[in-house]
Amino acid sequence: MSYELIAILMFASMMLSLMTGQRVFAAIGSVAVIAALLLWGDGGGNLAYFSLMKAMKWYPLLTLPMFIFMGYILSESKIANDLYRMLHVWMGSLHGGLAIGTIILMVLISAMNGLSVAGMAIGATIALPELLERNYDKRMVTGVIQAGSSLGILVPPSVVLVLYAMIARQPVGELWLAGIGPGLLMATLFILYIVIRCKLQPELGPPLPEEERNVPKAEKYRLLLAGLLPIMIFAIMMIPFVRGWTSLVESSAIGALAALGAAALKGKLTLKVLEASTRKTLGITCMFMWIIVAALCFGAVFDGLGAIKAIEGFFLEDLNLSPWQILLLMQLSYIILGMFLDDTAMLVIVAPLYVPLVGSLGFDLIWYGILYTITCQIAYMTPPFGYNLFLMRAMAPDVVSLKDIYISIIPFVFIMIIALGLVTVFPQIALWLPEQVYGK
Amino acid sequence: MPKFIIYLVKSIDWVNYYIGRVAMLLLFAMIAVLLWSSFSKAFLSPSLWTLEMAQFLMIGYFVLGGPYAMQMSSDVRMDLFYDSWSVRTKAFVDCFTVLALILYLGVLLYGGIASAQYALKYNETSATAWRPKMAPIKIITCIAIGLMLLQALASLLRNLARLRGVEIKTPAELHGHTGEG
Repeated sequence: MSYELIAILMFASMMLSLMTGQRVFAAIGSVAVIAALLLWGDGGGNLAYFSLMKAMKWYPLLTLPMFIFMGYILSESKIANDLYRMLHVWMGSLHGGLAIGTIILMVLISAMNGLSVAGMAIGATIALPELLERNYDKRMVTGVIQAGSSLGILVPPSVVLVLYAMIARQPVGELWLAGIGPGLLMATLFILYIVIRCKLQPELGPPLPEEERNVPKAEKYRLLLAGLLPIMIFAIMMIPFVRGWTSLVESSAIGALAALGAAALKGKLTLKVLEASTRKTLGITCMFMWIIVAALCFGAVFDGLGAIKAIEGFFLEDLNLSPWQILLLMQLSYIILGMFLDDTAMLVIVAPLYVPLVGSLGFDLIWYGILYTITCQIAYMTPPFGYNLFLMRAMAPDVVSLKDIYISIIPFVFIMIIALGLVTVFPQIALWLPEQVYGK
Repeated sequence: MPKFIIYLVKSIDWVNYYIGRVAMLLLFAMIAVLLWSSFSKAFLSPSLWTLEMAQFLMIGYFVLGGPYAMQMSSDVRMDLFYDSWSVRTKAFVDCFTVLALILYLGVLLYGGIASAQYALKYNETSATAWRPKMAPIKIITCIAIGLMLLQALASLLRNLARLRGVEIKTPAELHGHTGEG
């Protein structure tokens, strides 16, 4: 049997196994070990455990529980409520103002955690009920929260970019800074969409009634202070790291401490909050780590099959494409694979296959990391397998049906594709900031 | 369902539950080690041991916490079809898919035992300035994978029991520690 055929068979059996509702890590891991045993016999049996040891040596993975914990402290302690109140009071008078405020809220939360989980939790529990109560269109609002929270993986700190940095061997600091421009661009596009949509159909986002807007000036300014919280946590964490005083992982622990401190200062750090955050952090971290370990094993089998060379040969010789055509095809295949495959697994399995080729074609790997992450964001939201969809279904109130969730993302996926196009055509959107800071 | 099987499933559940509850606290040990690392780097001489210690804690954290996370059903599944099935169909299909999980964990354990034996025999140390012995962490991972394997077995038995109309709840379910919300 040719190696290409084995590789395709492995992918197909993994997909099939996923269809049965198998745990993702078990689907990936079992296909990997069966293939390894069949190919290399007894020696192949060690591959699974080697992958576990390899995951241990991936030092930056330590940021994963830290950033997840930060996010949970924020959402469980409800210290983000003031942030939401602030945006509520300041933006409420506009058509669609609360939806715009929610996007801004999501950007601020993204600056304090590395995944979309916390944004989803805060969005679904605080923003969503309020918006529905004020007669906002449920489909628009559901989309706003899913799209907004997906910024969590693009705006630093970002766990996806940490994983990419390990795979592509690129500096995390530059990648993170590169994520800021595109993240803000995307948030702006979301806001523009809401503004235009609400201009055309004002009933989708009614402004707050007069009496609710009548908040005393002093209260209004006090709430503005709430906006300082994320900026401070972000600064405490990022400044030592960007200045090179602490390593990435050390900074993530400082960030976790800062989040704990913020919750304590606000008097919200109860035992219940601490227990729930710690427990949920364990659950999510375990899920991610077991998927990463299994996917590393899968990737190692692929590597042994010479899949990198095969893909290079396929794109360069069999299809005879130009570098840009190859890039486009890769992004397309990501989006399609991302629909069916868990996004973390996709990153660990597929990125090592593509990154060497992207590098050898002469593209900037920092820029490519951002393109990759935006593609990941799209994958997070597209059915049937989207991480944000999965969370939304678990957290949304009953009035929001599954159909609503699926329909709600359509305009936002289009906007993300536009953003992806813009960053592809104008790499400076991503690369300007790291060049300024690191003076390349 | 025979009494002893129910007893077995419950024992596995509770052992893993308590181990998971303790493993969950390793998060704070990691935070402490990393904070000490930043502190010592800034004000004293940088510590050699912090980086690897944090790595060991991390691996202990997620392998020992794995069974508890499984009880909490934190793992993602592609629920395109799965979600629309009845409880019985789910249990039936799970009986088969969990076999693949058992296979994966079995191979993982096999590799782990071989690696731990090697570490003990040759007194393997890590190739860093701190040079910690590798055997302890390898033995801990093997034990943890073994516990994960038991949890998978419990899951198989639980599904078989469910097919016969007997519901065995996990401690995580009893404490309401499931799902996202």
